[in-house]
Amino acid sequence: MAKKEFSFNEAVIKIEEILHNIESGELDVDKLSEQVKLASELIRQCQKKLKSTEEEINSIFNDLS
Amino acid sequence: MAGRLTLTELQLIIRDSLYMAFPEMHWITAEISEMTENYAGHCYLELIEKQPDEKNIRSRARAIIWSSRYRLLKSFFENAAGQQLRTGLQVLIKVKVEYHEIYGLSLVINDIDPAFTVGDMALKRQAIINQLQEDGVFTMNRELDFPLFPRRIAVVSSRNAAGYTDFINHIRNNVYGYVFYTALFESAMQGQETEKSIINALDRIAEKTSLFDLVVIIRGGGSQTDLSWFDNYNIAYHITQFPLPVITGIGHEKDLSVTDMVAHLSLKTPTAVADYIIECVSQTEARLNEMSADIKNLARVILEKNRNRIESAGMKLMPLSRIMISGIREELSGMIMDLMNKGKKYIYLAGLEQADLSSKLKMTAGSLLTNRLSYTVRTEQNLKRLTDQDIKHKHDRLKTLTNTLNILSPEKVLSRGYTITSVNGKILRMGKELKENDIIDTLFSDGGIKSRVSQLLRKRK
Repeated sequence: MAKKEFSFNEAVIKIEEILHNIESGELDVDKLSEQVKLASELIRQCQKKLKSTEEEINSIFNDLS
Repeated sequence: MAGRLTLTELQLIIRDSLYMAFPEMHWITAEISEMTENYAGHCYLELIEKQPDEKNIRSRARAIIWSSRYRLLKSFFENAAGQQLRTGLQVLIKVKVEYHEIYGLSLVINDIDPAFTVGDMALKRQAIINQLQEDGVFTMNRELDFPLFPRRIAVVSSRNAAGYTDFINHIRNNVYGYVFYTALFESAMQGQETEKSIINALDRIAEKTSLFDLVVIIRGGGSQTDLSWFDNYNIAYHITQFPLPVITGIGHEKDLSVTDMVAHLSLKTPTAVADYIIECVSQTEARLNEMSADIKNLARVILEKNRNRIESAGMKLMPLSRIMISGIREELSGMIMDLMNKGKKYIYLAGLEQADLSSKLKMTAGSLLTNRLSYTVRTEQNLKRLTDQDIKHKHDRLKTLTNTLNILSPEKVLSRGYTITSVNGKILRMGKELKENDIIDTLFSDGGIKSRVSQLLRKRK
């Protein structure tokens, strides 16, 4: 079973899309809560990815020097 | 036979004739085709002049430079021409013609003009350059990519040359501690053998190009250098064709030889070559470090940028949601207000109507009431009036009646002279009922009488 890999770029695009929808008022109130939840979750995952990337890079450069 | 000479006599006549014909020295041009020094320091040469085709000899003569003169001319020439006096050179020399009965003709060289040789060399060099350019190969070695890490070096030099050891020392003992791999491909670096052995060395290296990053051709040390061996078409051509970059450090003060010109790079001395190579490696190392730092920084920048993006998105999420909700709420409020206003208007209008009606109603009712009231009052009044009237009326009537009654009362009637006739107690109004001889009662105001009817008289109608 193939697990879909987290794509930072896709997540950011999705987050910005949701924000845009909310801002422009095109979003249904019905969906608002669900979309906000989704956006939050994506943000959390992005932050996690940023952190782990930073740690990886730091350890690479530590190995170099 | 008369006129017969001995050989010696002939030779001496020739000698004297030549002496007479050439009492002074002459400047001549010639090519040195052979040249040797003997143990005493004298220099023996063979001079030739070639046919225009450069192949066949047109003339030949022997020449000598006596040792004392030779020492002087040799260093003079080398200084001025930048190269040694050697075979193959075209020279401009000042000679004295001498003829010896045993050794024959020889030209004693007294002076030399190096500028001629230089000029000739320069011409030759230019011709070589032109040829290489015409062949389209002149820049080929320069066009090769110079290795970023020139660590494996093929050295063309002579083992004993001071230049070679200098080079190796510099390379091995560089301050950075870089390790280089060098291999020597021995070659003569001057003299007749130069062309052949350098080309041979290059060929040997060419068999193993994968083992090396570049080639250096070095020689030098010492102040006198004879570059003319390197003004050589073949050597230059081989270098242009060579698959690895070639650096020369063959020592030159002012001029470049053709070999220098076609090489990827030409430096003054073998040490300079060594230093250059070391610097290249150092620069590449610095560049790598720079790139590493750049990558690190750029990575940071990218992370930072993305972090900001996410953070700002996160910060916007809540307020935007709120704004959206309150926006909708306002919209709803607006709709409600709208609705209410419309309703109110409707009601107002309806109200007006109603108020209108109501007031109309009121008015009407009021007036109605008032009317009724007044009517009632009036009626009451009327009634009263009427009743009073009525009563009065009745009263009057009654009075009248009473009066009438009075008037009509039997007493009064009787009193008036009327009588009441009755028969058998029944009052008679009509006489027809009577017959003759009926007994009637007649009442007078003062009493009554009884009487008999004597005769009936009929009233005429």
